[in-house]
Amino acid sequence: MKTVTIDRDKCVGCRNCEMACAYARTQETCESSVSNIRVNHYIEQRTLMPMTCLHCEEAWCMSVCPAGAITRNADTQAVVIDANRCAGCKMCMLACPFGNIHFDNERQVSHKCDLCDGDPKCVGHCIAGALKYQEMNDLAAAKRSKYDQMVIATAH
Amino acid sequence: MKTDVLIIGNSAAGLSAAETIRKHDKTKSVTIVSSEGGNAYSRVLLPYILRGKLKEENVFIRDNNYYQSNDFDYIEGKVTSINNKEKNITIDNNYSVNYESLLIATGSSPIKPPIPGIDQDGVYHMWTKSDMEALIPHFQSGKRVAVIGSGFVSLQAAWAAVSKGLQVTVIELANRIMPSVIDNKGAEILSEKIRSFDVDLRTETMTNAIEKQPDGSFLIQLKGQEPVAADFVIVGTGVRPNTGFLAGSDITVDRGICVDEFMQTNVEGIYAAGDVAAGPTSFGDPHQIHALWPTAIEMGKFAALNMLGKKIPYEGSLNMNVTQMYDLTVASMGNFADESGDEVHLIPESQGMGYMKVCSREHRIVGACLVGKTSAMIIFGMLRPVIRQHKQVTVDYMNLERDLQKLTYGLMH
Repeated sequence: MKTVTIDRDKCVGCRNCEMACAYARTQETCESSVSNIRVNHYIEQRTLMPMTCLHCEEAWCMSVCPAGAITRNADTQAVVIDANRCAGCKMCMLACPFGNIHFDNERQVSHKCDLCDGDPKCVGHCIAGALKYQEMNDLAAAKRSKYDQMVIATAH
Repeated sequence: MKTDVLIIGNSAAGLSAAETIRKHDKTKSVTIVSSEGGNAYSRVLLPYILRGKLKEENVFIRDNNYYQSNDFDYIEGKVTSINNKEKNITIDNNYSVNYESLLIATGSSPIKPPIPGIDQDGVYHMWTKSDMEALIPHFQSGKRVAVIGSGFVSLQAAWAAVSKGLQVTVIELANRIMPSVIDNKGAEILSEKIRSFDVDLRTETMTNAIEKQPDGSFLIQLKGQEPVAADFVIVGTGVRPNTGFLAGSDITVDRGICVDEFMQTNVEGIYAAGDVAAGPTSFGDPHQIHALWPTAIEMGKFAALNMLGKKIPYEGSLNMNVTQMYDLTVASMGNFADESGDEVHLIPESQGMGYMKVCSREHRIVGACLVGKTSAMIIFGMLRPVIRQHKQVTVDYMNLERDLQKLTYGLMH
């Protein structure tokens, strides 16, 4: 499946992804507090880390949802929440080990990345090339090649 | 009739097991027996439906095609006995089904405290779909309800009633509410919140009798207090595992059905999961009953994997609770009791999460509880693997979210 991949070395912390996501979700605000993607920053490590749902193969949020509100989209393979079925019990938030599920206090429902039906707006608005929408297998290959180059560089 | 896999129970544990079997094995015959009948539903949703947050039909968590499309056989009936030597069960004292392997996921039922008058029309539990259907007509603005008990289920029922404009009295025998879900301080904060919504919450109050009046309403007679008037009563004083039909089998029951880390009972080929099972916990207790939805899902999954012969041990259950109540999020995980002697780390209110406490033992985080804001749930999610792995961690509790993120993303060890 294709998913949003994150290269934290490339992220410049502009937070365009948050704003694009917030607007895609609400169609009225770019307020990053309602976004499904969040850019975290760690000053000491000099690191920026955009985080959004990984659409886990064994998605615990999905198995544990007592309302049957979380399913896998057949087309995109995204793990999605049906807001009409969501009870607002927050069990999915308890289940996600990455903190990638958020809560809409007004509607009293959980929300998370749904890959924008296969056209993730965060990727489209990333100015640094840190976010990509790509096959997970390609990501594994890219990581391997990056690691190989590091090894080669250290050897010389 | 004969089936490869027989599952007694059609809720969290049973469904999780059936689906795990099917995921790994397309050919084994799987039969699900349900005493309630009808499509699978979720009892967690009952208060949300009574409150009007969800539609009544949303109680169903699997659709009409579910059994057929997964190639599950479905029997509606009550299992009346098990013969583990012959490897069969009897349904409705009438006919038998033979199995290769058996999963008992029969859940639990509400405890009926010995209160005179508890067995009459107008006194309900909030546990099954039929309970919900019986309660819906009563949930009308202005009606008076007395809720006996103040555990998770009772307080959810009370909250649903408050939301619908009912007059609510909660009667609790003990000196505080929700002992298995939050600590003393949390219980205090929540009690105050409940009272601020005009709920007459009475702790240390003993119910002597439930008396029906000539007009059909009730008087709840209390020890040393004026009686409370109500139009109907909800009793929620805990649940007990459904094990009655096991009498005469060789299966070991100690309150719940004792299972090992493979979810197997003392009888080869017979497994148990969910509210009925007493299994291993994350903290090394061999047999504990959680009666929690997430535990049932996990137990069902591991039972199924081991019924398929995979020999994969369950890492043990970690108790976790979460719910919205009034405008508060109430949550807990692991060991958070005041009496445990663990180190206590209070997250300052200035961080905007409300009352949150994290407990640790020798630099290992062992539990947390919250009566506060939803934003803290992100921390709970990240805490779960940390508690489960019993990892020694050096975190700054004043910057817990940031440090847990670093742990989670591999920026710190």
